Amino acid sequence: MKGFFRFLYELIGSPQPPSETPVYREVIFPNVGLLTLGLSLALVLIFYYLINRAMGVATFNKVRHWVIFLVISAVLSFLIGIWQANSQAVASHSYIYWMSTWNAILGMVWFFLFSIILKRGSTNASTTPF
Amino acid sequence: MLPSVAVALLLSGCYSREDMNAGGEATRPETEETTAPAPNDSKPAPTTAEAPEQGSAAGPLAQASIFLEVSGSMEGFMPKASGAENTRFQQHAAQFLSDLNRSTAVQRKSYFRIKEKPYADSYQQLSQTVRSGIQQPASSTDIPSVLDTLVSRYYAPNSVSVLISDFIYSPKNAGAIPYISTDVTDALNRAGRSDLAVSVYGYTSDFRGAFYPALKTAVKKINPCCDTDIPYYFWVVGPADAVRRFDALLLERQPAQQAHFGVKYPTPASSLLNRFQNVGSWYYGEKDASKRTAGASYHTVAVSKVSAQEPVEFVVGLDLKTLPALYRDVNYLKPNLQLQAQDTDAKIVSVFAATDQTKNSSGAENLYTHFVKVRVTRLGKAARPLQLTLNDQRPGWIGQWTTKNDSNINQAGAKTFALSSLLDGVAAVTTGEQEQAPVFRIPLTLQPAD
Repeated sequence: MKGFFRFLYELIGSPQPPSETPVYREVIFPNVGLLTLGLSLALVLIFYYLINRAMGVATFNKVRHWVIFLVISAVLSFLIGIWQANSQAVASHSYIYWMSTWNAILGMVWFFLFSIILKRGSTNASTTPF
Repeated sequence: MLPSVAVALLLSGCYSREDMNAGGEATRPETEETTAPAPNDSKPAPTTAEAPEQGSAAGPLAQASIFLEVSGSMEGFMPKASGAENTRFQQHAAQFLSDLNRSTAVQRKSYFRIKEKPYADSYQQLSQTVRSGIQQPASSTDIPSVLDTLVSRYYAPNSVSVLISDFIYSPKNAGAIPYISTDVTDALNRAGRSDLAVSVYGYTSDFRGAFYPALKTAVKKINPCCDTDIPYYFWVVGPADAVRRFDALLLERQPAQQAHFGVKYPTPASSLLNRFQNVGSWYYGEKDASKRTAGASYHTVAVSKVSAQEPVEFVVGLDLKTLPALYRDVNYLKPNLQLQAQDTDAKIVSVFAATDQTKNSSGAENLYTHFVKVRVTRLGKAARPLQLTLNDQRPGWIGQWTTKNDSNINQAGAKTFALSSLLDGVAAVTTGEQEQAPVFRIPLTLQPAD
């Protein structure tokens, strides 16, 4: 699993500065990766199963509502990247922001994928986003 | 609630460093929160039991025997009190005796005057002799026989003998001069001590009295003497471990010239430093490098990219506090620190001592007293050992303090007759047949990044 996250996060290049590579590979990538996956899953569950099924809200199932959740997923994913990098006290470098931006994109990708998989279980939003 | 349970499960699987050093407070609450819902998290507590640091024999030394030579040649160092100023020798020797007498790190102290054989004295008597001068000078003492006595009669585990003398060895005739080193070797070797070590500390002092040159071809004695300073020495003789500890306890405080024979030192603490003057693409290659345990040390360099245009530079921090001053001197370290490597052009580019800046830094460099910077532009296809070695080279002062003819000492300056031959004799015993062992060896690994 570490290998998977390492592959995923090094698509944008090696960690910088190079001296922090072990911390990124062993701690930050797996942490950020798992947290982002969990976050996206949670948001999808909230959107499809909490709001649009359990609570039975009927007016929050349009594409624009889904996009709000997509954006929330991106913003929180970005913050997860910054937070994890800072909490592991890595040397500051602009790479932290690149990595977090990449994580925001990944957060949206996860959110989209979970949406596709789980939307059928929703009563009010089974056709959102399409 | 389903989503929060899912988050909690994911969080509990998170990786976290087991030990935070600086700035860890920010994350600690989170790790505690996240581990709470998953009690089956089998992570060991952060209080990793530290291996108790324990020397082989950390207790006090059993005994130190001080031998002060009181032959006529020493009178100039200890002139009879005449109201004049005392000599630097008197100042220093009295101070040393007092330090030793006070020391709690040596259990038993005995004091001897060396005439033709050692005579037991008390601290007061010997100190008095140093202060107010030699009352009844002995006829010249023969260095090899004194050394023989020390190693055969006063040699004991955890004990040292300290011989204070000018070490002017005058052979019976000119034909015996080439055998000086052999005489010393034979004397030290007679008792067959396998762990024998000798530390030599050299000092100079003003000298007011008759000087008896070793070479008596021109004059038997120079009186009054001398316009120049005259060297004197403390030789610490004993088992290697005891000599090392005695040196550190009592002889490292004062600046002195020094040379060590057969003394073995524990390998000093060392580590690569990944946030100190590092250049290029490399990181710690250790498997647990990401944990960054406080106080951990690293010795593997994983290089992800290197070329002549983009060299890799890394710094190895060394804590040489446990070594004597000789081996902490940057001027000694520069020529004698060497790097043995394979399939690489790794070489030492600089050696420097800690500065106030490094000592006060919050980084790992504050643990180390010296730094060695290594540059690499090329490396092998797989992991290769890299060894940082401090060679045990005869220090340069020995040659400078040696004279072949001391019959005109005022012109020769502060030198001792045949000093290097005497020390050749010592070295022959302590090094034995094998090659000179280095002071320390620090193994490193240089490998391409995976």
